[in-house]
Amino acid sequence: MASESIAIGRLDAPARQIGEILHDWVTTVDHKKLGLLYIMYAILFLVIGGIEATIMRIQLIVPHNNFVSPQVFNEMFTMHGTTMIFFVAMPIVFGFGNYFVPLMIGARDMAFPRLNAFSFWISAFGGLLLYFSFVGGNGLYGAGNAPDVGWFAYAPLTAKAFSLGHSTDFWTLGLLVSGIGSIGTATNLIATVLCLRCPGMTLGKMPLFAWMNLVMAGLVLLAVSPLTAAQVMLSLDRYLGAHFFDTQAGGSAVLWMHFFWIFGHPEVYVLVIPAFAFVSEIIPVFSRKPIFGYPIMVGATVSIGFLSFLVWAHHMFTVGMNSYANSFFAISTMLVGVPTGIKIFNWIATMWGGKIRFGTPMLFCIAFLLQFLIAGLTGIMLSVAPFDWQLGNSYFVVAHFHYVIVGGILFGLFGAFYYWFPKMSGRMYNDALSKWHFWLFLIGFHLTFDFMHIPGLLGMPRRIYTYEPGRGWDVWNLIVTIGVFFQGAGILIFVGNLLWSSLKGKFAGNDPWDAWTLEWSTASPPPEYNFATLPTVNSRRPLWDIKHPEDPD
Amino acid sequence: MSSMDAQPVVEKSGLDTVKLPAPTAWPIAMAFGVTLLSAGLVTSETVSILGGILAVAGAVGWFLDVLPHEKHVSVPVEEEAGVVAVSRRKVERLPVAPELARALLPLETYPISAGVKGGLAGAVAMAVLACLYGIVNQGSIWYPINLLAATIYGQSMALTPATLTGFHLDSFLLACLLHLITSLLVGLMYGAMLPMFPRRPILLGGVIAPVMWSGLIHNILGFINPLLDQKIDWLWFVASQFAFGIVAGLVVVKQARVRTRQVLPFAMRAGFETSGGAGGTRSKENP
Amino acid sequence: MSSTSLPSPSAEMQWVLPSRGRVGMFCLIAAETAIFTIFVIAYIFYLGKSVSGPTPKDVLELPIFASICLLSSSLTIHMAVKSLRNAKVGAFGLWWLLTLVLGGIFLGETGREWYHLIYDKGLTISTNLFGTTYYSLVGLHAFHVTVGLLMISVAMLLTVFGKVKPEHHERADVFSLYWHFVDSIWIVVFTVVYIIGR
Repeated sequence: MASESIAIGRLDAPARQIGEILHDWVTTVDHKKLGLLYIMYAILFLVIGGIEATIMRIQLIVPHNNFVSPQVFNEMFTMHGTTMIFFVAMPIVFGFGNYFVPLMIGARDMAFPRLNAFSFWISAFGGLLLYFSFVGGNGLYGAGNAPDVGWFAYAPLTAKAFSLGHSTDFWTLGLLVSGIGSIGTATNLIATVLCLRCPGMTLGKMPLFAWMNLVMAGLVLLAVSPLTAAQVMLSLDRYLGAHFFDTQAGGSAVLWMHFFWIFGHPEVYVLVIPAFAFVSEIIPVFSRKPIFGYPIMVGATVSIGFLSFLVWAHHMFTVGMNSYANSFFAISTMLVGVPTGIKIFNWIATMWGGKIRFGTPMLFCIAFLLQFLIAGLTGIMLSVAPFDWQLGNSYFVVAHFHYVIVGGILFGLFGAFYYWFPKMSGRMYNDALSKWHFWLFLIGFHLTFDFMHIPGLLGMPRRIYTYEPGRGWDVWNLIVTIGVFFQGAGILIFVGNLLWSSLKGKFAGNDPWDAWTLEWSTASPPPEYNFATLPTVNSRRPLWDIKHPEDPD
Repeated sequence: MSSMDAQPVVEKSGLDTVKLPAPTAWPIAMAFGVTLLSAGLVTSETVSILGGILAVAGAVGWFLDVLPHEKHVSVPVEEEAGVVAVSRRKVERLPVAPELARALLPLETYPISAGVKGGLAGAVAMAVLACLYGIVNQGSIWYPINLLAATIYGQSMALTPATLTGFHLDSFLLACLLHLITSLLVGLMYGAMLPMFPRRPILLGGVIAPVMWSGLIHNILGFINPLLDQKIDWLWFVASQFAFGIVAGLVVVKQARVRTRQVLPFAMRAGFETSGGAGGTRSKENP
Repeated sequence: MSSTSLPSPSAEMQWVLPSRGRVGMFCLIAAETAIFTIFVIAYIFYLGKSVSGPTPKDVLELPIFASICLLSSSLTIHMAVKSLRNAKVGAFGLWWLLTLVLGGIFLGETGREWYHLIYDKGLTISTNLFGTTYYSLVGLHAFHVTVGLLMISVAMLLTVFGKVKPEHHERADVFSLYWHFVDSIWIVVFTVVYIIGR
């Protein structure tokens, strides 16, 4: 979409061949193009992962359904989870980080532009390798088998004896390969934020977006690496006959769980901290007030990052740990609520007394606040170990983490899409369509995930293929599946709106929101070099200083 | 005016070109090579060999891109309207009645240490009553301690009525920790809340809060501590709550108050780095 | 109104930020540390849990000579970088070569130890848990040494052909961080595998 709008800037330039444009995108080291590549690639996988979710929900709409076979159902929930986490959420947050961190800190590119290209392409190829398993993977049921061991692939299900063929190896290798890209991008983001800030932008004057991306990148470094190590061990087990997770030779299946979740829990914060970053940029601009409590927001982000490494075993209460471990992880999990609560109060305080404009980005942020609060509250419920013994691995847990990921992270992402779409494409989105998207998706989200808590409380386990009628689950599952279609319609409107508006939308101008961070001081879309002259800043809101020379921050 | 020249410089510069890193295909070649290298593990060795060759070629090409000097291209700087538009409008303000009642935040409050002291004092009072209950009713000082530990300690559920009166080090430590943390948190909450009810702090702290707290516990105790729920003696429980509330409230109100940041200018309270320094009292809110 | 606190142009001249090479390398080291931590935890967790022999006590011998070689290569690479910073390209080449040789000896010694374990003692990665964790942890370290030696060899070739100039000292410095990291990891591996684990 950006190449199209760049061409508008140069009306005199001759129309370029499609091959030339393609060559441009493949060889680019420009952080903005790579950011867009990340985002477009993630949207593609978002649609694929959404289709997988829809297949699961259609299967569960009525008892004793036979929409798909049990093995396809297993593949669907495995691929849905893996896709959404590794090939939708992570690339999208990396894409926004890539695009906007250099712009916000007044830099011309990322610290390592070629590494940036390498990281994107290797992540993308990792996703393709995983999806190649649908055609090329031979598993338990013959050829063309996708991985079907669940997204956390517990041992001993992944052992050679229980997972024949190569379908599990596709999962391992796909994640291993894309993990290299994640570590590369995280390194790049940290180096960019620390080494390329424009003159005057001290760490204390950096936009919160850059701060939170810095923390996120640090989490990626320390969280994805353990996963990489665990995947190497699993591959050694499967290829060379090592015994890491082989219980018959004294290995431990629980060790895999620890290794997976020491990655898995920080990963949640890898995804949600960028959502915090979006919200922290959008809410002030749409409330016409500076962010409330900037230093405390930074401190809360850092402490969330720190705490996220101390809570992993709350995913494992049902495994049967001793009381000390249960108590420790219950308490540390509850502690996460403190900095998160501080953030929610700060956002509310930013809105308090402000002159709020209810644009679509702001609507998504307000929905984010409410839904993320509820998600946090069910999280506190599940952190109580005995409560978790009752509801672990039930649909209550599924509803809880979808509340976090969809109600929190995805709503934040949609807000970010609408907020920065004018900057990325140079054109304004269609406002009516965006409102349709918001309301349809909001209704669909609440139909699906509010009501999903109830069958969980009634004992419906996750990953179940089908169920008996008359257990009180039927009507709830019906409502949950109906909600999916609302969400699907919302997503289609969203994608259609992006495509249509990037070609036909009204020109947005440099600064459609009257915002305060540096990305709005340059053209929309920004030229390749971002800033003709590197800016110099004196405050947290450099554009405010320009617009109000009589009253600088 | 001196602040003009210190603004971020975004207007058109004198430069004609900007040096940027040159586009290159080697990273994608290397990425594809590494992917093929691992894809060979699930397909055939030839794929791995091809991937290995591609990865090495990509690495060498990449190396030559950055050594001895990084390759650059010069991108021409385009004409650009560097002026940032201000979309501010003049608006008429609605008159606000001066006598309009608004919520006020306390200008003075207790220091955090007051909450801590109150919490600790209340903790002692509560523990004394609870232990008294243990001795008077059950003949063992350890009885209430074991019950309390059951909130977070699974092993406590296994205690029989006979062992429930005995001493268990793990239960004792956990119960102390739990009691201390909860007391401190409640004490801090008293410290924060009492100034908001300036007329009758002891009524709030000593009567209303224990009643509400006991009511809450009465409803949810079955979930958080089933063992305690079975064995609880509500009369003694409520009495110990009152003891905590009154003692903690008394200790807190005895402490000297400190001024809150409400008296500071808004900019400082909101945590801005103001260029005007601490003397700036103007509001930073936008129209 | 507030001109006093605004930075003067001279303050802008002093705008110094950390070097991106060093920051990038520290990030890589952080990630690698996390990977090694997981392997070390696995090693310690599985100590003495093998259901069959051989045990570490039966087969492992202290690799003193190899360790001395590897650890002293940290010193030589430091001297090499120092020489290059002082524009002594010849001295740089000599110290660099010495680093390459010392690293090579370490790798050779590891190879000899593995040969001995596999062919004389019959310990492979699939023999028991000790074999699994030993070969993966020591092998992961050896892999890092190999990568480092490859990079050192490339730089050595460039030095021989006269392509290395004193202005490259920062890149050599960044690489030396990696090499110091590999050496310090060896101290951890040595302690865990050959002292605690034996």
